[in-house]
Amino acid sequence: MKMMKTTFKWYLFLVIALVMLLTPQFITNVYYQHIINLVGIYTLITIGLNILSGYTGQVSMGHAGYYAIGTYVSSLLMLNLHMPFWLSVLIAVVAVAICGLVVGIPAMKLSGPYLVLATVGFGEIVRLVILNWTPVTKGAAGLTGIPLPRLFGLQITGEKDFFYLIFFVVLIGCYIAQRIARSKIGRTYMAIREDELAAEAMGVPVNTYKISAFVISAIYAGIAGCLFGAYSGVASPDNFTFDDSVGFLCMSVVGGNNTIIGALIGSFVLTILSELLRVFQSLRLILYGLILIMTVIYMPKGLAGFIEPVRKWMAIHMKKSTLIQD
Amino acid sequence: MWLVPFMVVMKGTSEYPLLFPLLFQWLRDVVKLQYFLNGLPIGSIYALVALSYSLIYAASGVLNWSQGDIVMLGAFIGFTIINVIKLGFTTGLLISMIVLALVGLLIQIAILQPLRNRQAPPINVVIATLGVAILIRNVALVIWGADAQNSPSPVSTKPIYLGSLSITPQDILILMAGIALMVILQFLLKRSKEGKALRAVAQDRYAAILMGIDTNRSDGVAFAASASLGAAAGMLVAPIFFVTFNMGALIGLKGFVAAVIGGLGNIPGAIAGGFFLGIIESMAGGQISSGYRDAITYALLILVLWLKPAGLFLRKTRQKV
Repeated sequence: MKMMKTTFKWYLFLVIALVMLLTPQFITNVYYQHIINLVGIYTLITIGLNILSGYTGQVSMGHAGYYAIGTYVSSLLMLNLHMPFWLSVLIAVVAVAICGLVVGIPAMKLSGPYLVLATVGFGEIVRLVILNWTPVTKGAAGLTGIPLPRLFGLQITGEKDFFYLIFFVVLIGCYIAQRIARSKIGRTYMAIREDELAAEAMGVPVNTYKISAFVISAIYAGIAGCLFGAYSGVASPDNFTFDDSVGFLCMSVVGGNNTIIGALIGSFVLTILSELLRVFQSLRLILYGLILIMTVIYMPKGLAGFIEPVRKWMAIHMKKSTLIQD
Repeated sequence: MWLVPFMVVMKGTSEYPLLFPLLFQWLRDVVKLQYFLNGLPIGSIYALVALSYSLIYAASGVLNWSQGDIVMLGAFIGFTIINVIKLGFTTGLLISMIVLALVGLLIQIAILQPLRNRQAPPINVVIATLGVAILIRNVALVIWGADAQNSPSPVSTKPIYLGSLSITPQDILILMAGIALMVILQFLLKRSKEGKALRAVAQDRYAAILMGIDTNRSDGVAFAASASLGAAAGMLVAPIFFVTFNMGALIGLKGFVAAVIGGLGNIPGAIAGGFFLGIIESMAGGQISSGYRDAITYALLILVLWLKPAGLFLRKTRQKV
């Protein structure tokens, strides 16, 4: 704990405060604000994926499933039972955590392609159930008119309000994830990733930890889903396809999946990139695919791999013991 | 009678011939045989796709997520040759398989070899092949457009009635062509030099290197063979489904499911898994609910993975850690 105090990062807080205050002032275009908000929502999912696939080494290609459950549970509670936003989020989180548990239990036995398949299967099951359970989920037409959230007596409307809400949630999400990553739990996850048998031999209850990674990761995606539902006001099964799960995984890997900041970088870069490439119209996704391939070949640690040298440089030049933290 | 091709393919794996008559009996008594018959042609296509996954996985330990889009590309190339250049179905099939073999080789040389040389973590390989899938899909979108193309069937689609059962000549063609390809593949794997090298690499990569086998070459062979199998699957599936640029995702996923049911990397297992999946799907769709058909398939799959993590058809259960 002493170490934490000596490495109190005043500059980090300054940056966060500046970003928070200035972003909505400078980015006044509603479309750009919308993209930034989407980046925030994707960041949350990607953080969850990083904990699961980066730290624990369990690849999930079904995170759109948790995302969908988060969206639908909270939206339906708000639409049909007129629940307040915070309560619907709470219930959605419980629902998503249970789903994480349900997938995590069979998944603890699996690894590699088998695990990937189980998660893909889960994602598809969720999507198909949403598509076919028409009386509740309205099927392919999707939900419309999801009410805007009220929090602490404040009505949240418009891109700017949502920016603050999403920003706060992402901030808290990053902080909690960072604390998890640097705590005993995070170290245990890494031990499991490096060598499961060795970890088990050292007395680590591997299965418990693997399932807990699933649950934590699911909760992140679920909260992102709640935000997405309230933010966009509409939700349909098309928002939660296998391709979306793949997209989240790409964000995680391109950003660098064994750091928390990598999630932020990955979701930011890939979301912006796919918007920037719109000028190429039909060639857009071809270029996207090429960039993706080049990134994983030439930047195996993701974009966050570039941060480590910067941190070392800062450690030397700013006389701060940032190195000790890792 | 129809068991004979299975017995040829499954030669050397003594359980399978015993298993199938039992399954057949159960199917006749418990479920309607028609659903079983309907599942066979699509099962043979799934089996081909599953084989293409398993072949690459066995040879190089890579899970190639672009397999579904290779199927799509094969279907489009065949469609173009048959409908635009006006060559026959067989010529189209052959040209499509050859072109796709080259594409497969290209993927291996340009993308997977550098990844292997850099000892990239498995998840990077997964993302790279997903990138290839996005690439192929959108190249196809640019070339052929977003419209669904209807590929005419090479033979009649009028059903033949056998008592209460019906089957179309098209289904018979698909089934037979699929089985013929599987037999050819099995023959090449067992007899040809490249096939033997491939099996040696699959068994023990490092021992194979020590024995002087060029693993890059065998990886290339695996990719080429697997891509041409995918192309054949695409050609065969084209008359059943519409050919669209995004058909690859679904069929690729189904083929992967079949490969895993049979135990990834297990060649006879992939064939059995393909037919099993086709039949289960047809039964679930016909008897329970067509909307939930795929959901039932996936739920069953997770159950299978939970209970038998190494696949249903693997004889020696190895632990997948």
